[in-house]
Amino acid sequence: MKVHLEKLVVQSKKEMEMINITDKVEEVVRKSGITQGIVNVITMHTTTGITVNEGLPCLEEDTLDTLRRLVPEGLNYHHARYLDFDGRLGVNAHCHLRGMLTGINAIFPVENGKIVRGGRQNIYFVEMDGPLSREYCVQVLGE
Amino acid sequence: MIDIHTHPVLVEETMKKDKQMLRVTKEVFGLHNRPQPLETFLLQMDVAGIRKSVLLPIDCTTSRGCRIYSNQQIAELVDRAKDRFAGFASVDPHSKSAPDDLDAAVKELGLVGLKLAPGIQEFRPDDEKVFPIYARASELGVPILFHSGLSWEPGSKLDPCRPLLLEAVATRFPKLKICVAHFGWPWVMDTVALMLKYPTIHADTSCLYADTPMEFIRQTFSCQIPTTWLERSLRNQVMFGSNYPRIETVKMVEAVKALGLSDGAQELIFRKNAERFLGSREVWR
Repeated sequence: MKVHLEKLVVQSKKEMEMINITDKVEEVVRKSGITQGIVNVITMHTTTGITVNEGLPCLEEDTLDTLRRLVPEGLNYHHARYLDFDGRLGVNAHCHLRGMLTGINAIFPVENGKIVRGGRQNIYFVEMDGPLSREYCVQVLGE
Repeated sequence: MIDIHTHPVLVEETMKKDKQMLRVTKEVFGLHNRPQPLETFLLQMDVAGIRKSVLLPIDCTTSRGCRIYSNQQIAELVDRAKDRFAGFASVDPHSKSAPDDLDAAVKELGLVGLKLAPGIQEFRPDDEKVFPIYARASELGVPILFHSGLSWEPGSKLDPCRPLLLEAVATRFPKLKICVAHFGWPWVMDTVALMLKYPTIHADTSCLYADTPMEFIRQTFSCQIPTTWLERSLRNQVMFGSNYPRIETVKMVEAVKALGLSDGAQELIFRKNAERFLGSREVWR
């Protein structure tokens, strides 16, 4: 079995943002030379997520609004304390918790060198604590 | 809006050129976040609505054997985004050449103020040995921002960071503009007393030592002192400062705005006081 791994960088521009990375993932699959297998997209952070949805701006806004509603910023979180290993306060508990709701990865089959996905399925990197320069992995496994 | 208090310690472009800076940021400054491209700094400002940020270095050559950004590095960053940044200098208070170093930083590098941090630089601000630095700053017409109160830098002591030590500076140099950084927390009342007595003394809002920005700013500026003091007596001397990247700028902006100050007081705190403090140098072109 062949394994192809790439780390990609994405610059978020807002505090919360849905960044469509479908084209980036497809490009990695193409470059991998793997024709049959799976592709796994994994974020490298704990205040971001990977999710799949229809590539519409209205749904992107709905997704972010729902995350804000489910995990409000101003609640009494234990994380809001000084973190000596960081040199700063943990003021982003809500970002971590929102990240847990989206999950950290998405997996798709690869067939004939292409991702097998529904016509409306787009892969998103979800920023929840931006703007920051971020990283995610795309790993292609197969033959 | 203007942010009077930022540290460019995570800028990736500088770290690529200066391999020591990552170690200095972690071990001396005590910040362990991942480096970020300069673009992130500018985007953080955009999200917060900040037009211009003041970049602060710390020259701790004698006390720590390094500089947390040199004056040259600050000037280089300002050059990369002149419309978004203004740079302060720092000098080693134990060096005899400190006044001349400040002179060069202002005249040759275009820096517009001086940052001193008595805790990490290990000096007392009321020690007459460092008064030649203040004299030169006063001659040059550049303000001094003193780190005051608690600092997160490892080994940095609280005692030399007491705001009241700055009274000796204000009285000896009555034209020198002074900023008590971090509002001198926990000595907030001392900072207030200094500002009430000396109109040349200012303070910035970059105090965040527990809880969230919203909670801590509210506690400091509505419980520790009443908000009306900012609104009435101190409105011409308080400047917005975030202390980015120890905290995201937008969170501090939102916290200060949530105090519910009048539009007039906010205009002063978020912009006009800083413009006056920094003077009419090319920074505002």
